[in-house]
Parts: sequence; C-alpha cells; structure tokens
Amino acid sequence: MNDWAAFSRDLLQQWPLILAGLGQTLKLTTLVSVTGLLGGIVVFALGLSPYALVRRGVAGYISFLIGMPLVVLLFLMYYGLPQWGLHWSPFAVAVLGFTLNVAAYNAAYLRTAYNGLDPQELEAARAQGYSQYQVVRLIILPQVLRLSVPALTNQVILNLKDSTLAFLIQYTEFFGRMQELASTNFQFFKAYLLAALVYLALVSVIVVAARQLERQLLLPGGTR
Amino acid sequence: MSIAPLIEIRNLVKRYDTHTVLGGIDLDLAVGEIKVVMGPSGCGKSTLLRCLNRLVEPSSGVIRFRGEDICAPTADVRALRQRIGFVFQQFALYRHLSVLDNVTLALRKLRGIPRTQAEQLALHQLDRLDMADHRHKYPAQISGGQKQRVAIARALAMEPAVVLFDEPTSALDPVLSREVAALINRLHEEQVTMLCVTHDLALAQDIAEQVLFLDQGVICAQDSVARLASDHESPQVRAFFGRADNL
Repeated sequence: MNDWAAFSRDLLQQWPLILAGLGQTLKLTTLVSVTGLLGGIVVFALGLSPYALVRRGVAGYISFLIGMPLVVLLFLMYYGLPQWGLHWSPFAVAVLGFTLNVAAYNAAYLRTAYNGLDPQELEAARAQGYSQYQVVRLIILPQVLRLSVPALTNQVILNLKDSTLAFLIQYTEFFGRMQELASTNFQFFKAYLLAALVYLALVSVIVVAARQLERQLLLPGGTR
Repeated sequence: MSIAPLIEIRNLVKRYDTHTVLGGIDLDLAVGEIKVVMGPSGCGKSTLLRCLNRLVEPSSGVIRFRGEDICAPTADVRALRQRIGFVFQQFALYRHLSVLDNVTLALRKLRGIPRTQAEQLALHQLDRLDMADHRHKYPAQISGGQKQRVAIARALAMEPAVVLFDEPTSALDPVLSREVAALINRLHEEQVTMLCVTHDLALAQDIAEQVLFLDQGVICAQDSVARLASDHESPQVRAFFGRADNL
C-alpha cells in the first residue's frame, strides 16, 4: 500500500514533466510521420526515374536505411557527427534520423503498391501524352497512396513506439520521463506498466483514425 | 493529285536483340479510313500499334504522321500522342477516377480546358456512346462493354486524328463484341480514322471489307476474310481464317 502511495505521490509531483514529455513524444511522432511520408513519396517517385543511375541510388538508399537499426543511425548522428564538427540538438537529430529511416520504409510500401498497379493504365497514360511527372502525380500517386494506407498508418504506429529511442540521445520524451519516475522510487513495474498503457491508448487512437481513413478512401465498387 | 495518307509506314522494323518482331511493314492509312490488321498471337500486331505513337521505339524504317517523320529527333512525342487515340485490350481506365473524370482528365491537364467546359465536352462524348448516365460511377462498377465505351469516349474526347484499337473485343463476350463492332462502324460513318488490330474474325468482318494478315512480323496477305479463308495460296492463312466458314 505504501508503495502505491509513494508511486502516486511521485507521479503527481512529476506530472508536469511527464506531460511535457508526452507532448514531446507527440510532437516528434507527428512531425516525423509527416516528413517521413513526404520523404517517402519523393524517394518513391525518384525510384521511377527513367535514369538507371537514379533508380540504383534510390534502391541503395532504401536498402541502407532499412538495413541499419534506427538507434545506430541516431547514435551515429548524435554522438558520431560532432567528431566532424557537426553539433545538432537532440530534437534535430531525432527528426532527421527518423525522417531518413521512415522515408525509406514508406518508399518501400509505396513501391510494393506500385508493383500491383495495372501496367496498362500506366501505358494508357503515356499513350495519352502525359509527361512522366504527370503520370506519377495524376495516375500513380493517388492509387499507390490509397493502396498503402494500411502500411503507412502502421508506420505511424511504429513511429510512436520508436520515439522511445529518442531518449537515448537526450531527447526528453515521455518514456524518458517515465524512466526518471521509475528511478525516483524504484517502482519499475508500475512506471513501465503505466507507460505501456499510455502507449496502448495512443496506438488505439491511431488505429481508429486509420480505419476511418481506410473506409473514407474506399472507392465505390469495393476497390481501394 | 493524290492526297497524302494520314499515316504512312515504310519498311518498319522492330527488333529485340536478335528477335525480329516486325520485319519490314508498309502500310498507309488515309483520313476517314478504317483498316484491320489480323494475325496470330505474338505476330507483332500490338507492337505495330505501339510504334505509331512511340510507346515502342522502332529499330528502323519510317513512320510519317501527316507527312512528318515521327521518329525525327525534333519530333514532339507528347504532342503526337495527344493526336492519336489509343483504346487498349483491357480498357485501361484509371480505376481511382470516375467515368467522367477518366474522360475529362486529359482535357484539363493536357489541353488546359477549365473543368466545367471539359465536363461538357466529356459528357458529349459519353452521351454519344450511351454512357452519360454512368458518369459518376467508377470503373469497378461498370461492365466490360461499358468500360470499353468509356475508353473509346476518353480517346475521342481529345479529338484525335486517328484512333488505334488494340484487340478491342478480346476481353468481351460475343454480344458485347458485336456492340463494339457496331460502335466502330458508327464512328467510321462519322469519318473517324481508325486502325484496329485483332484476332476476332467476327469483329474484322463486321467493320472492314478487307483485312491485312500479319504473320511473323510481315504483312503477308490483304483481302476479304472469306477469300483469305478459301482462296489464299498459303495454308497458314487459310487455316487462320478458316474459322470464318462457321460464322
């Protein structure tokens, strides 16, 4: 009973900091979800370039970023780059590192959806006289984005969960604050259980919003 | 003085590595004319069509469109494609767009026509093909025959100089195929220039008096289906058109 009282007291005491940490988590997640989506679209579109060199560069980028653990990338940028004279804030490193990583994953999802498109539709667009840019913008992107909604929203959930890595580069987000709470009173189970429940609640919100979006994007006739 | 054909093909060759798909095609298509090219699968029919709007780059030979060499370095390929309507085997409608948007998209994005005016033009074409009532439907909600009509409306909306049909009935049942044949005949009466490749004998007989037979990359016969079936010297040609006896 005393444990619960001590935990509750510390929780209330540190609540403003925890809330601020939650705000940082949501800020990072939202921002990298947007920049990662935009970056993913750019990387995907470059992957459709008529120039083989560009396509090879994009394939290399995706393989490299997907092959590298995110935490290694963050450490490389936060602890490694200062040796080359580049000092960035934890937030800047987190945003850039996550964006590079998430863009690679999103580009891969879009590419998978692209592979499922009807090649005749794309040929029809070229036959009508559209430029390569117009084919991508008017025919390919609207379809692959729609088809990729489940994968892209799943990536938003991953972004939220992966944001816990940011506290390893001194970015004081929610999980970092919960760490501090746990180390104040050594009630690790209670602190991490609370953290888990908060993440679960946030993930549930994203899932509900994602399903809603999927329903809205469903085309008449039952296709996406 | 004779009028130059709309499309003039001379000694057109297309090779993929060592495989020759088109081995020297000569073909003229005059304004208002309809020509049908037939041949077995893999004979080069679709490649021939795709060379005309440079979806496929010819290996050699000359293709003139209104007297201009379309393979010249100065040729504007996108402008050429906008003058050539192309109707695909599997309709190739943009599945994320409604019937109306499928037809208006090119008018708006390629011709720069405002949406309201583009919709009026599109509705005119859809109405001409009895598809105006379906304008708000999506491709997944209409039948194969209706899709083909939308595909034709999409091509006609750009007021092309010629419409190319690539196996327009191969994905349709016999009833819908006859509908497409009637439609092509109607367009022919309206002086629309058309080149159709098909291996549908019924369609070929319905829309043209004479057909060209393409085999192994060369045009090896030109006559009516009935005569090719009975009188042609080549047993392969007679065998290909032989089914016409049962029609």
